[in-house]
Amino acid sequence: MKNDHKNHVVKMKKTLCIVLILFTAAITSCNKTLDIDSTRVVGEKNMWNKLEDARAGLLGVYALTRAALSDNDGHWLYGDVRTGEFISPNRQDLKAISTNQLNASYPTVDALSDWTRFYAIINAANIFLERIGDVKAADKRYTENYLIVDVAQVRFLRAFTYFYMVRIWGDVPFITASHDGKFENQARESGSKILVWAQQEMLKAAADLPFVYSNNDVQQPGNYYNEDATRWGGALATKNSAYAVLAHLAAWQGNYTDVATYAKFVEDNYSKSGINFQSTEDLTKSNGFFFNKNTSQMFGFNSDWGHVDGSVTGHLEELTLAEPVVNKKVPDIYMPKDTILKIFDMPKDERFSIDTLGQPRTERYFTNINGKYPIFSKVKVILGGVSDPTFRYFTSALIFTRIEDVVLLRAEALAVLGDVNGAVNEVFNIMTRRGMTDLTIDSNQDIIDVIFKERHRELMGEGHRWYDLVRYNKIKQNNPAFLKLINSGGIYWPVSRKLIAQNNLLTQNPFWK
Amino acid sequence: MRYLWLCFVVFAAITTNALTGLAKGNAGKKSKVKRPFYSKPYVRRDTTAKDSLLKDSINIIIRHTLYNKLADSVTKKPYDLSKFPAVSLQQLLKGQFAGLYVQEPSGEPGTVQNMFIRGVPMPLLSQRDVYQSQPLVVLDGIPLVTEHPFAFDIQLYDYNRMGTATNPFAAIDMNNIASVEVLKDLSATAIYGPRAVNGVIVLTSKTPVAAKSITFDSYIGLAQRPHVTTINGKYENAFRQRFYDLYTTNGRYSDDENYPIYLSDSLNNVYSGKSDWSDLYYRNAVVYGINFGISGGTDRANFRFSLGDLKNNGIADGTMLNRYSAMFNINMKPLKWLLFSTMVNANRLDRQRNKYLRDRFAQINYFPDLSAPLPPNKEYYADYLAQYKKGFDNNKTNIVDGYAKIGLDLGKFKFTTTFNVDYNEGYRDVFYARTLLQGNSYASNYFGFSQRIMADNRATYDLTINKVNDFHFELGQSTQWDIYKYSNAYAYKGVNDYIKIDLLDSNPKNPDGSDNPNYLNPTAFPRELTFRFLDKIKHNLVSFYAKTDYSFKQKYFLSATVRADGSSNAQPTSRWFYSPVVSAAWNIKKELLANNTIINDLILRASAGRIGRLNAFDNYAQGPQYTASVGYTGNLTVPGYNAFGVLTRPYSTGWIGYGIPWSYSNQLNIGTDAGLINNRLHLSVDWYLKQEKNLLIGIPAFAEYGYKQSIESGMAVNNTGIDVSVSANIIQNTKFGWSSSLNLNHNINKLKALPRGLNQITIDNKLLKVGSPVDQYWLLINDGIYKSESEIPVVNGQPLKYNGIAMHAGDPKWRDINGNNVIDNNDKVLKGHSLPKISGGYDNNFRYGNWNLNINLYFNLGRDLIHQEMANRFDFINREGNSDVNSVKEITFWEKRGDYSKYPLYNPWSTVIPYRVDQDLFLENASFLKLRTVSIGYDLTKAMRLKKIKLTRFYVYATANNVFTITPYTGQDPELVNYDGYDTGYGLPIPRTYTLGVKMEL
Repeated sequence: MKNDHKNHVVKMKKTLCIVLILFTAAITSCNKTLDIDSTRVVGEKNMWNKLEDARAGLLGVYALTRAALSDNDGHWLYGDVRTGEFISPNRQDLKAISTNQLNASYPTVDALSDWTRFYAIINAANIFLERIGDVKAADKRYTENYLIVDVAQVRFLRAFTYFYMVRIWGDVPFITASHDGKFENQARESGSKILVWAQQEMLKAAADLPFVYSNNDVQQPGNYYNEDATRWGGALATKNSAYAVLAHLAAWQGNYTDVATYAKFVEDNYSKSGINFQSTEDLTKSNGFFFNKNTSQMFGFNSDWGHVDGSVTGHLEELTLAEPVVNKKVPDIYMPKDTILKIFDMPKDERFSIDTLGQPRTERYFTNINGKYPIFSKVKVILGGVSDPTFRYFTSALIFTRIEDVVLLRAEALAVLGDVNGAVNEVFNIMTRRGMTDLTIDSNQDIIDVIFKERHRELMGEGHRWYDLVRYNKIKQNNPAFLKLINSGGIYWPVSRKLIAQNNLLTQNPFWK
Repeated sequence: MRYLWLCFVVFAAITTNALTGLAKGNAGKKSKVKRPFYSKPYVRRDTTAKDSLLKDSINIIIRHTLYNKLADSVTKKPYDLSKFPAVSLQQLLKGQFAGLYVQEPSGEPGTVQNMFIRGVPMPLLSQRDVYQSQPLVVLDGIPLVTEHPFAFDIQLYDYNRMGTATNPFAAIDMNNIASVEVLKDLSATAIYGPRAVNGVIVLTSKTPVAAKSITFDSYIGLAQRPHVTTINGKYENAFRQRFYDLYTTNGRYSDDENYPIYLSDSLNNVYSGKSDWSDLYYRNAVVYGINFGISGGTDRANFRFSLGDLKNNGIADGTMLNRYSAMFNINMKPLKWLLFSTMVNANRLDRQRNKYLRDRFAQINYFPDLSAPLPPNKEYYADYLAQYKKGFDNNKTNIVDGYAKIGLDLGKFKFTTTFNVDYNEGYRDVFYARTLLQGNSYASNYFGFSQRIMADNRATYDLTINKVNDFHFELGQSTQWDIYKYSNAYAYKGVNDYIKIDLLDSNPKNPDGSDNPNYLNPTAFPRELTFRFLDKIKHNLVSFYAKTDYSFKQKYFLSATVRADGSSNAQPTSRWFYSPVVSAAWNIKKELLANNTIINDLILRASAGRIGRLNAFDNYAQGPQYTASVGYTGNLTVPGYNAFGVLTRPYSTGWIGYGIPWSYSNQLNIGTDAGLINNRLHLSVDWYLKQEKNLLIGIPAFAEYGYKQSIESGMAVNNTGIDVSVSANIIQNTKFGWSSSLNLNHNINKLKALPRGLNQITIDNKLLKVGSPVDQYWLLINDGIYKSESEIPVVNGQPLKYNGIAMHAGDPKWRDINGNNVIDNNDKVLKGHSLPKISGGYDNNFRYGNWNLNINLYFNLGRDLIHQEMANRFDFINREGNSDVNSVKEITFWEKRGDYSKYPLYNPWSTVIPYRVDQDLFLENASFLKLRTVSIGYDLTKAMRLKKIKLTRFYVYATANNVFTITPYTGQDPELVNYDGYDTGYGLPIPRTYTLGVKMEL
């Protein structure tokens, strides 16, 4: 009996032993089971090892820039809608923006006063600049030239982003390192200081940027990331992009000597980047300048149809187009006929002008001029560049600047600097290209007015007008209301309350307190 | 009709069977199970079987019951539950268990419903949080898998999850279930591991019996069309004109004002005519369920097989759910000590979804021109429905789960090894014809699956020393491999309305042998308008546990469990989590009151312990990371840049750093069970404390580094409360009986800590404040209206401002809580609760002879909701004519819900948005009492037996469900709200249903 019990215990122990052995075996194998790399995100250890990582990081900065400018159609709401020249029949948020009620509590207005998406660009750029050395060290395919060209682009985009933010908010936190994992709140830094830095950065970047990619530029020999020139043309920043943005930056600073220099550089070199002046037809047709990407897009962000990059939002067309151009009853914004006629007062203007009977000579810029809502249809890149009104899916590129813009900037600079003849030449160059003839300046006309009117017409709907107005009023000094706005910081946007709540070092722009 | 056919076939089979074959072989079975037809909620099981196979399971059950005394769990007989014509498990369990709160955001059959056991473990900020707060449902030991919320990552709107969005627990046929148990505290849930952190619902399917047995359960019923008040354009126009009369001089607030044409033209019959759309929208709908089961075999080998069909037609919008289910169990005992058993449960769910415009536009990611809503007139609405019929919206879900189990029974030592599989796949195929979308067709094909494979080993050893010391040792190990995956493609603008799927070019080679450049490119839809997505998450979980139970003389019970769980979704540095659970129980009856005749049973029990909480997403395991998504508002799925994939930090998801530990839950439970007066009165009371620790929360931070938020660990949430269950056999005569049972839960929820020691954070319209509940609304207090400019307070020459905007006449009088003459977020207060303070059910059963009557009530107290539908109607200025989600008007826009006269007439054009939802103007008390079921039944067993028909049971019944609701809420139905407590008006009504049913066993 006892023996039996003993046997039983021995048997039991054996069984327990086996179980324990099985368990330990299981434990060792299970750490393997638990180590699985995510298939939906890339961990730090699998990034910055290869040439492809560098490409993904670099293009990521571009993609974030496009996202930041397109978000809520911000580029146009900041630049065109804020001026109040467009009217919104239905959208209360746009009404608030166009009447400078930037405190109004609409989601769009809140979102536009939030700079987070711009700092995503900055952060991505900072990480790129800090980590790109790892790729250089790990992958022999990633040559010195890749490094130089990629770094130049990223530095340029970072400086551009700061410039863009300073125009919107004035002073913004100034951060040039990723601070990965050790983030610290930063106070706002003087916008003018940041612009000085941005100018230096852009100049350095400009020195390293090629005029063209994959097209035997001395600064970028060979096929860039194994793709030919058509793949990259218009998609990446070139030396001309940098100088064009530099001209804008200097103009915002009021440093017109630099504007003239930078703009001259572009005027002398634009063709090296394959840039052309656009005919009015090419500018406005749906498969023209704004369609997909092309080398004439001096600095912009495309949404290529073939790349399935288009979308229903994030394009000017979302705001401006309606019946009869697309099947939407009421446009989000439109320009009243009176305003249009005031702006387009030159006969023979190919963009828009009326004949002696009051009928439009062309519908390039405006469709349905005599209807309730004249449709601003300058940019109308629908689907694959067609005129199908049924589906509001747009593929227009967001253009920050083009050669016509730079020429007009140079005109502005020359005018301010006193070279009226030079300025007249420049502005007439553009006006002639738009079909106007017999151009003269009479003595009671200020060349500045001529230039800004032409800028207004030429660059309408490209996100420039608000900043043009600010510069114009700074030059003219004759509009007390606007000057008051400039002097009190009312030309800037309020800083989102959400941001101030997160970061106690931030202060609100005084105008919006 | 299909139902009649099915019934006829089954009846024919049964009657021939019953009258011939079975009549002789059933003599021994009579004594087997005699089920009372009145509810006995606390009878835990019938233990009278002789069958040797059954004995094994009975042993387990006894073991379980014994240790149940350590645990707070409640068992219900599905027999009674199954009389409710429910589609889903959630509906069946609603109001039946103290501490289980079921949320039914829509009466649409087969839609997802939420369950919360003992409060919510975290603030419900998104569908992801809801997913991570759900209890685990276990069917015969298989932890059931549900749809992963990762699909929401690429969705602009989280109204429905991408794909079928069918409730996976609609696949459970209650007629196959022998018991439902809700496990609420750790002593019971610990063995299920970290997935059980939110509680467990244990479903045990009917086990085969050796004797031949056939069951047939069926009902057919009618869901009643609701009565609604419809309105037309004229009515809406009059409603709006009051604002124009007050705030405009010439009928236009500004020169560019654009009054909607559909309202202004009063002669337009389309909008201003008869509003009879409801004839096409609502209907009386047939519902039925039918289940046929057969069981048989010998002591050594037996099986059970059942087939079921359920059809539930919704009363609104042509919705419908159809379920086919089949279940098969086999037990085999080739050797005395070896048991092999296996089960397969297969279900097919077909769902007909609602036709909400909002959901359709969200699905297609495109908002057409919305200046003309659907007209309220039947004739025009019929046109729309006809266009809809040109396409399809097929939602099919297949759910298969099963196990194969080998059990070794070596006397005191037992070993079982189980292989579980749960596979859940969904297909959604959609085609919308051109006429539905301004000339653009849309096709979408979704396939997704969730799969869980589990290997589970358990060894137990029982030891009794001196007949008074009982030991039970248990070791367990399991590995679970989860895969969640979907692929979704959609396309616009097909060539015509006849080709309804996006066909791909399937020739890899051209006829001349060269590579076809268009291989796998779409042919019927443009390539450039075809979008494809896929996503996949793998999650492996490895667990070990050891458990020891000890009881002394059946008076004292002690139990301790130690677990080690390793998850692939935890960061490598803290992959494993170790947690203990201890519990004890004291049988006071045996110890002190053995001779007391009033108290028949009295047990005191307590448990305390800790259990880990899993991350649903694998992102967190990676630490700092890079993602390919670089979208923006309205366009989340931007495919890289220049046709190259890009990698950037997850700026829109949030910063994820290193050092994220396991989140876990500390749970304490103290309870008592008492049986009084010959066990006629049962009382069970539990007090609990659940401390959720180290929860992840996205703190809005690091905006200057590009991040929307920083996802950090360290949030703590407490839930405390009591569960009370009382049941009484009030009258217990042979002729007449009355039993009554009440269950309720009172829960208080509190945020205890935030990461970094923060005191509060604001996330969108929610304030999370340490020390306050997480289910509160954050609202401005509305004190009326400023009738004139002179009423607006002026301090130091500055008028009262709302977020920098000066207030004017016609604006709401919001209370300036901090008195600084500025209304902003600092003047918002936490108010109301989206979850009930008290919820429960009250059940009454009356028996008279062979008749019985059941009355079931369900109630919520101390719950509030935001009547957003009403806010939207008043905020018409911001919701008109744009091509966005705010301007979408459903056909139900033409239904009058709620009381318009309650609200002041503010200036709707004001930029302060007077009818904003974040104010207490729209906060309403959503407490309610519902008469959920009245059922009356007659037991025909005896009558049939008299006629020599050998039946174990024959029972017929009739029910009326959702009979009435008593509530102070002025809107549709206080139950029909989203998880966040907002009544958007999108919930389809929960119907009043009448059924006739039969339950038969022979």
